[in-house]
Amino acid sequence: MIQNLRTEVKKLLKDKKVNIVIGWEKGSLPLSSTPLFIQKLEDVDKLIFDETCRNNFTTYLTKDKRKLGKTYDKIGIIVKGCDSRSIVLYAVEQQIKREDVIIIGVPCNGILEKKKILQKTDGKEILESKIDSKNVNLKGRDLDITIPLKDVLCDSCLTCKYPDAPVHDIFIGKPRKEVDIKDEFKNVIDFEKKSSEERWEYIKEEYSKCIRCYACRNVCPACYCNECFVDQNDPQWIGKTPEVTDSIIFHLIRNLHVAGRCVDCGACVSACPVDLDLRIMNKKVEKEIKERFDYTAGLDINEKPAMASYCETEKQDFIMG
Amino acid sequence: MIKIKKSEFNKFIENLQKNYSVFAPVKDGKATAFKKIKSAKDINNKILNTKRSPKEIFFPQSEVLFQYTEKGMEVPKREEKPFAIWGMRNCDTKSLLMLDKVFGEAHQMPKKDMYKDPYWKKKYDNCLVFNLACNEPLSTCFCNWFDGGPFDKTGSDIFVVETDENYIFEAVSDKGKNFLNDCKITENASDKEIKKIEKLKKTAESYLSEKEDISSLFSKTKEIWEEPIWDEIAAKCVNCGACAFVCPTCHCFDVSDEGKGKKGKRIRLWDSCMFTIFTKEASGHNPRSQSTQRVRQRVMHKYNYFMDNYGEHLCTGCGRCVIICPANLDIREVIKKIIRY
Repeated sequence: MIQNLRTEVKKLLKDKKVNIVIGWEKGSLPLSSTPLFIQKLEDVDKLIFDETCRNNFTTYLTKDKRKLGKTYDKIGIIVKGCDSRSIVLYAVEQQIKREDVIIIGVPCNGILEKKKILQKTDGKEILESKIDSKNVNLKGRDLDITIPLKDVLCDSCLTCKYPDAPVHDIFIGKPRKEVDIKDEFKNVIDFEKKSSEERWEYIKEEYSKCIRCYACRNVCPACYCNECFVDQNDPQWIGKTPEVTDSIIFHLIRNLHVAGRCVDCGACVSACPVDLDLRIMNKKVEKEIKERFDYTAGLDINEKPAMASYCETEKQDFIMG
Repeated sequence: MIKIKKSEFNKFIENLQKNYSVFAPVKDGKATAFKKIKSAKDINNKILNTKRSPKEIFFPQSEVLFQYTEKGMEVPKREEKPFAIWGMRNCDTKSLLMLDKVFGEAHQMPKKDMYKDPYWKKKYDNCLVFNLACNEPLSTCFCNWFDGGPFDKTGSDIFVVETDENYIFEAVSDKGKNFLNDCKITENASDKEIKKIEKLKKTAESYLSEKEDISSLFSKTKEIWEEPIWDEIAAKCVNCGACAFVCPTCHCFDVSDEGKGKKGKRIRLWDSCMFTIFTKEASGHNPRSQSTQRVRQRVMHKYNYFMDNYGEHLCTGCGRCVIICPANLDIREVIKKIIRY
């Protein structure tokens, strides 16, 4: 697969169909990958794709005006299912022109969540890792364990219905067979069953860990505002302290702002340096959008965003009779 | 050098707690941090580099400087009891010395002592630092690049080595000497045990990656300030502030006024040069509106401006940013790239 991918990328660059290709290369730490911006043919051989290819690189298309979308006419981008859905989001929201981006899909078997792995190593440092189709083997000083992949995949990957880029120009490798996910919203349904006190306690405890570094926002493909509301200081919109009363407002507004736009790529969860559960509220909003508007973000380039369209058949139970 | 048996550790901490509030590395949910402990049992000496750095004990992420009502202004009371930090590593004790240069030392200003920060100073002067040697440094540690090391004692009051059976103490500062004289530990470490420390030190140092010669880093950063290499370095950065917030030496802050009706407070908050708003001026102009400019600023502050002002690099090689960066923008690679440019 990887050789075919490299050949295809070389071809695109040689034929001048793209000026730059974004993909992954091996990172500097075990189980890590890092963005690779390919402009020279000799860099193509650094390309990898495996279970460590965590980041959703579509953010580089839109964020901060210097970024790639403004610099290059034609960009090739290698994508997992969730990444391709982010590109659809950009096209739908007119942040990019669909024809300016060549989407290269690769078959995704799920991505490793390093945080889950670290919970299994008893604080010991991982110095070497080896991944095969079913397991990941970790080695370090006094450490040699093998863990089944399914135990340490990202939560988003475990409920992912679209591992193969639903929208793409080129697809390399064999697409995964139809995935059958029945309990996509299991975490939300379980959470909804709890009493409101229990739910509040959980949310309060989670969000009190926040250090306001905004890593979640900055890796999020849906968060591309030129000026985020937390950065508004004239007048200042919300308090800047890490107190839970301030942090929770940041997180809840962000939840609502990505309503119908979040593709559950899980980038925020992996990026959070303090391991807070950012997914539960995003998934709750996603479920709400699904139930009310029968809408899933990032699947169809011609669709109108859920929050920007109206249909008579929508649930209207908020109107008091 | 004196020692206590490992079995006496809890008792030692309990005695320490009589006169000091004790902070130590603990598990904090899934993360790790330095926290005020209730009992010696909370301490986890296996934790090497806590996820959040201990700078927050002295320089909290959010600190009320003063509060006011229509009647006047007051500075909130702070705990007066001296405090001790158990289990700091060399990269963190060194960072305290750097921060003290900014907050604690009198600057060449019109009036002597004019810009000493009273909030920092009080805590720093009131603190006893135990530096625990790192028997097994992480692969992300690069303290050796900055002349630190797993068994370096710089910045501590008391240096502690954990051996199989004992904790061996050595006074580093006068404060540390006085403490050890007063604490009634009488058992001296034997020659054999002191030799053992040498052995542990050698093993620990062998775990570190090869030392990079960074002697040209200062001049090089200045030379290449306008070169396109910065675009290459910054390309991956997503401009979050995770690196600055876990860094033991980053110390930029923002001041925010929160008022309601006739009362309010002024708060000092951590800030990061990675954020767009960091340099946004009242006019709306932002001199560092581009990501590349902000990444360059962070690198320059660490490896050039601080050296210019205070004679050392603002980095101790703790490796926290290396571990935490969501884009795996590894500062070690950045340094290498700059040196070899």
